Amino acid sequence: MATAVITPTATAPSAAPVPAKRRRRGPWRHPWGLEGFTWLYLIWSIVPIGVAVLFSFNRGKSQSSFQGLSLRWYTGTSKAYGSVLHDPTLHAAVVQTLKLGLFVTLITIPLGVGFAIGIDRWRGRTSNGLNLVMIFSFVVPELLLAVALMFVFLQLLKFIHLGDGAETAALVVWNISWPAIIVRARLVTIGRVFEEAAADLGASRFSAIWRVLLPMLMPAIFASAVLTFASVIDDFVIVEQLSGPGSQTMSVLIYSQAHGGNNGPALNALATLMLLFSLVVAGLGYVAYRLMTKGERGNTAAALTSIAGM
Amino acid sequence: MPGSRSARASQGGHVELVELTKSFSDVTAVAGISVEIQAGEFFSLLGPSGCGKTTTLRMVAGFEEPTSGAIRLDGKDVASLPPNKRNVNTVFQSYALFPFLNVSDNVAFGLKYQSLPKAEIQQRVTEALDLVQLKGYERRRPGQLSGGQQQRVALARALVLKPAVLLLDEPLGALDAKLRRSLQVELKALQERVGITFLYVTHDQEEALTMSDRLAVMSNGHIAQLGSPREVYEEPADAYVADFLGVSNLMEARVVTPGSGTTPCRLSIGEFELTAECGRLDATGDVKLAIRPERVQLRPYEENGQNRVPGMVERVVFLGSATQVFVRLAPGATLQSLVHNDGEPVGFQQGSAVKVLLPPDALRVLPGGGVTVAEIHEETFGDQPPDLAVASTT
Repeated sequence: MATAVITPTATAPSAAPVPAKRRRRGPWRHPWGLEGFTWLYLIWSIVPIGVAVLFSFNRGKSQSSFQGLSLRWYTGTSKAYGSVLHDPTLHAAVVQTLKLGLFVTLITIPLGVGFAIGIDRWRGRTSNGLNLVMIFSFVVPELLLAVALMFVFLQLLKFIHLGDGAETAALVVWNISWPAIIVRARLVTIGRVFEEAAADLGASRFSAIWRVLLPMLMPAIFASAVLTFASVIDDFVIVEQLSGPGSQTMSVLIYSQAHGGNNGPALNALATLMLLFSLVVAGLGYVAYRLMTKGERGNTAAALTSIAGM
Repeated sequence: MPGSRSARASQGGHVELVELTKSFSDVTAVAGISVEIQAGEFFSLLGPSGCGKTTTLRMVAGFEEPTSGAIRLDGKDVASLPPNKRNVNTVFQSYALFPFLNVSDNVAFGLKYQSLPKAEIQQRVTEALDLVQLKGYERRRPGQLSGGQQQRVALARALVLKPAVLLLDEPLGALDAKLRRSLQVELKALQERVGITFLYVTHDQEEALTMSDRLAVMSNGHIAQLGSPREVYEEPADAYVADFLGVSNLMEARVVTPGSGTTPCRLSIGEFELTAECGRLDATGDVKLAIRPERVQLRPYEENGQNRVPGMVERVVFLGSATQVFVRLAPGATLQSLVHNDGEPVGFQQGSAVKVLLPPDALRVLPGGGVTVAEIHEETFGDQPPDLAVASTT
């Protein structure tokens, strides 16, 4: 009886529509390809460094076969195979590098800050031209600058001798872009209103810069000091080209000893120290910058890290 | 504060701008304005963005060098003095509080240049913070204060120096509407208490009307009208001022018989004839007619008589205290009528035909040929440069 019932309204079969087969994956899917490529890149660039660091802890004197962990290349006292701490050449290289880094930073920062303030707050056509000079070191090959300056010091400015003096002068020229660009970026962010407020309250031009602008620029000044220091520690081209009879820096020593030298893993230890200095300084800079700009709007720290990534 | 008042007497605060002009490379921001501001007056510069009001203020403060003209502060031309040599102080739109100093040090910043003993600096800072009701916030950093509190610190920082003139550049612009209204009252009371000349820049007509003793409505670097708030509101000089100072109905009209002095003027809009008793009664040709929404009366369609124009209700908007009725007149213009809420529902519905009564004593004749309402709005709310706006008015 039930089969005889005819429902007049049943006009179409009520089968559920078959979902169309998804041909394309959604735009929100995870980008596996991109992620895989990123990891490959990271491994490619980090593993060799990791291996070099690992061999600085090698118990044996080989740079190719690992024979267990030891600190002999850092603090060992063996006469035959010098450690960084006790070999006079290696030891001197560490000191020389840090000294150069410190001097160059101390000279570069005030110059660069003055340069940035001058370019940004100085109204006129000259400042536009000088603005180009600021990105000078990103455009000119370092070797070209080094060779050019070598001739300058040999032929013109003979009172600056190759070695510490010439290296410092050249590194200041090469690194002045750090404070100039970073401080200028912050000057643009800050705007003129705080100086105007200071002038309005009675401050002279100089006083407004000293009492208001410099405190507000402190994070940028510190950040550029860190980057300058880290960049000098790493520098090889200028330092090598303009080196004199005095002590070598770590980078020059590593380069000259890498082939044919008999320092073995002590060089790895030296390179590891170089890496460590750079990392510590960059880390310090990052933390200090975050602390100094705490509570400010906008993520200036992100901008800094992206600059540091260069 | 009787102390500040007596101190003020010797401070003056009389400002005179003479043919003041400022041209940037391709734009004339301020085109020769002359104003005299009395000592102790609350004077406002009112106008849309790009009208030159802020540039004028910045010239008085010393941040911009005038292209020509003079700025006389108590008789002395200060146009070429740097800001730190002028006895004026500024409250900035963004407050410009020094973020690395606490409230107390911010307020004391300017006092450090006056070589005062430490005890006096301390005392004046306390007084100033008292004046703006910020006692107990001395150790806070600006970042830890609300917008309204920062604004008070900025005021205290400027007032503590006892300037002859206080310049305020849209100081309430960044605050919410409710706070803005309460601060308007407070700011006016404060100005009366300290007796310092206030030069106040704003684009908010309500602010300018509530606080000012006198105000100048600016347009494209010129002063369109100068007067007391009542004068400027009740007797706008032209369509621009009428429109900028709150909602005003503007209509195109043609003069039939010009009036004069006390004789009303007869005009026509479309085929209807009207009589007007206010404004430029002697005008001829094409003019603009202005009437405030609260003066537009709605009558039954059957009613006939003088100054009545038929129309159709387009929209009825209930506002609470009043009802806004938009009526399209037979000649084409749309008028706004404000019907006060007296408990009775408004008898007009969308689409119903009405007679619009425009009382002669409320109809104001304004010189024609000026900017149109649409252009004023474009200039107020669009971001095209002022010189383009000028070009389009012809």
